[in-house]
Amino acid sequence: MARVALEDLTKRYAGGNLAVDKLNLDVADGEFVCLVGPSGCGKTTALRMIAGLEDITSGWVRIGDKVVNLLPPRDRDIALVFQSYALYPHMSVFDNMGFGLQLRKTPKAQIDKAVRNAARILDLEAFLDRKPGQLSGGQRQRVALGRAIVREPAAFLMDEPLSNLDAKLRVQTRAEIARLHQRLEATMIYVTHDQVEAMTMADRIAVINDGVLQQVGTPKELYEQPRNHFVAGFIGSPSMNFVDLAVQLGNTSRLAGDGVEVRLDDTQAALLRDRGLETVTVGFRPEHLEIGKPEGPGLRVSASIDVVEFLGNDELIHAVSGGRDLVAVVEAGGSLQVGDSIFLSASPRHVYLFEPDHGLSLASR
Amino acid sequence: MTSALRTQGLAQQVARQRWRILRRLRPSRLVLNGIIGLIALFWMLPTISLAIISFRPAGLFNISGWWTVLTAPTQLTLKNYQDLLFSTPHSVIPTGFAAGSILDSLVTTAAITIPATVLVTAISSLAAYSLVFGRWRGRTVVFLGIVALLVVPLQVAIIPVAQLYASFKSLTGITVFGTLPGVVIFHVAFGLPFGIFLMRNFYTGIPKDLLEAGRIDGAGEWTLFRRVVIPLGLPAAASLAIFQFIWVWNDLLVGLVFLGGNAHHTLTLFLYGQTRTLAADYWVISAGAMISVIVPLAIFFAFQRYFVRGVLAGAVK
Repeated sequence: MARVALEDLTKRYAGGNLAVDKLNLDVADGEFVCLVGPSGCGKTTALRMIAGLEDITSGWVRIGDKVVNLLPPRDRDIALVFQSYALYPHMSVFDNMGFGLQLRKTPKAQIDKAVRNAARILDLEAFLDRKPGQLSGGQRQRVALGRAIVREPAAFLMDEPLSNLDAKLRVQTRAEIARLHQRLEATMIYVTHDQVEAMTMADRIAVINDGVLQQVGTPKELYEQPRNHFVAGFIGSPSMNFVDLAVQLGNTSRLAGDGVEVRLDDTQAALLRDRGLETVTVGFRPEHLEIGKPEGPGLRVSASIDVVEFLGNDELIHAVSGGRDLVAVVEAGGSLQVGDSIFLSASPRHVYLFEPDHGLSLASR
Repeated sequence: MTSALRTQGLAQQVARQRWRILRRLRPSRLVLNGIIGLIALFWMLPTISLAIISFRPAGLFNISGWWTVLTAPTQLTLKNYQDLLFSTPHSVIPTGFAAGSILDSLVTTAAITIPATVLVTAISSLAAYSLVFGRWRGRTVVFLGIVALLVVPLQVAIIPVAQLYASFKSLTGITVFGTLPGVVIFHVAFGLPFGIFLMRNFYTGIPKDLLEAGRIDGAGEWTLFRRVVIPLGLPAAASLAIFQFIWVWNDLLVGLVFLGGNAHHTLTLFLYGQTRTLAADYWVISAGAMISVIVPLAIFFAFQRYFVRGVLAGAVK
């Protein structure tokens, strides 16, 4: 096991397209870090540079104490689980998992032991003689994991390993990977576009957009203190609501717009005053909205219900306020009807403020 | 009671629908199978007649047609094969393994065809690997150049290559023209464009992820080629080998020119030698033709399972 460090890691393609821009990330020994971002944001490119499958334009990749920029993949002591699994179709499950050790001239008995051990952990013992074509998607996925485990690498790299599984299997395998991480105490770097996967598994999450690192932190930090508009919108499901509001008559504790009104608490008002902004982007999470119109500071929205989605325990309410679509999650059982006019409110600590031009959180400085 | 009635009614509806489907399919199926059978028979007729002629006595050839076998099967004999292979006191054809005999031709043809096939398959696979998985500039241009070579007819190259062989001899003293290696080299050169074309197009279908997984597992280029790409490319390599084998086996022109004065002949040259201006022993030629067909047929049946099997199933997803 080892620590993995990225320093100013940059990838510029021949066409001039900047895929990864000065990425700095330090993954501690035994840590589980998720790189998350929308598709095309450069997270997979970053992972492939760590693996040695992609040339590095500039910057450094360190695995353990060694800079590995120019080492071929096989000398980096890493294992990569591919999105497509990339199992060798002509080899049995046993050979698929043992191939890496075989190439490293490991004694037969030792390979046998390692493969059987991995197969036991992943519940694949009954399938060792099968070819990948005879396995289900979930089993193939486990073989791909097994191939990585058998090698006992310094770090595990995973490139969206769950995206080809159906929803139920994905949740199962997610738990399996988390268990695996605890059991092996291995350094893992996991790429995904699904923030739920990142939130549930990672020790820390690195949010990337357009090749630029937006924020690194624990799932709780990202959820509670998003550094900017993008992170706030990306983390959390359903995503945060945003409205642009104007400062009222020089009084920075009052913001208002069509159907939305905010009374800030003192710290927030002070922040806004210091910045001297005329307008500000206000964010609030659907799950923090409540129905009703309490007195005191906080956010209040008057809206009319557009769609109600019943989720069992909760209801997802799509509402329109001043031409803006908002989403709220409320406890099911109310008698809300499409077309009803309602008031939604949120307490001041659940109101986020962002600079309207570059989206930086006011609280982040 | 009512529900039982209802079930019965539904079952009747389904039965009626099934009957309609059957009625719709049956006649057209029969007609289709009949047509396919006729076409197959039509295509096989020349081969069937050739086979029958080879088993009929020489004397009957000018008297009755081969189809009389259907009414008088007793006329069939192995005499033509005996004459061809073993003893022919009254014939001019050499027998046994003497130079110019059919068994000698069989050996000669094999000595040309096998190396020409193995070399083309091996070189094409290597070239295709480099063209698909290599990381050098101009791969596409080189590939297009090779595809362009596909349109060069073999006939136009015969004289230039013969000249090349001649000047090679005058330079180095090594004789190529008139030797088996000379013929093999020619066949390999003309088999490669198609071979590379076929293998490259097949290799492009191999997911790049597989090779990257191999690289991470610790494989170098040679190991990747040997342990991952070759096994997956086996169906393509098998089809290429079959094509190349049949082409070279059936070649007359290249053997005719490039074997020159060589005492050993290819099978096609042997058969060609049996046709004469005024008359030919067609019964002997057909026996010889049957012998020459057996080997490619055997090769085809030995490798045909590779055509059918989809080896890539289960690689990704």
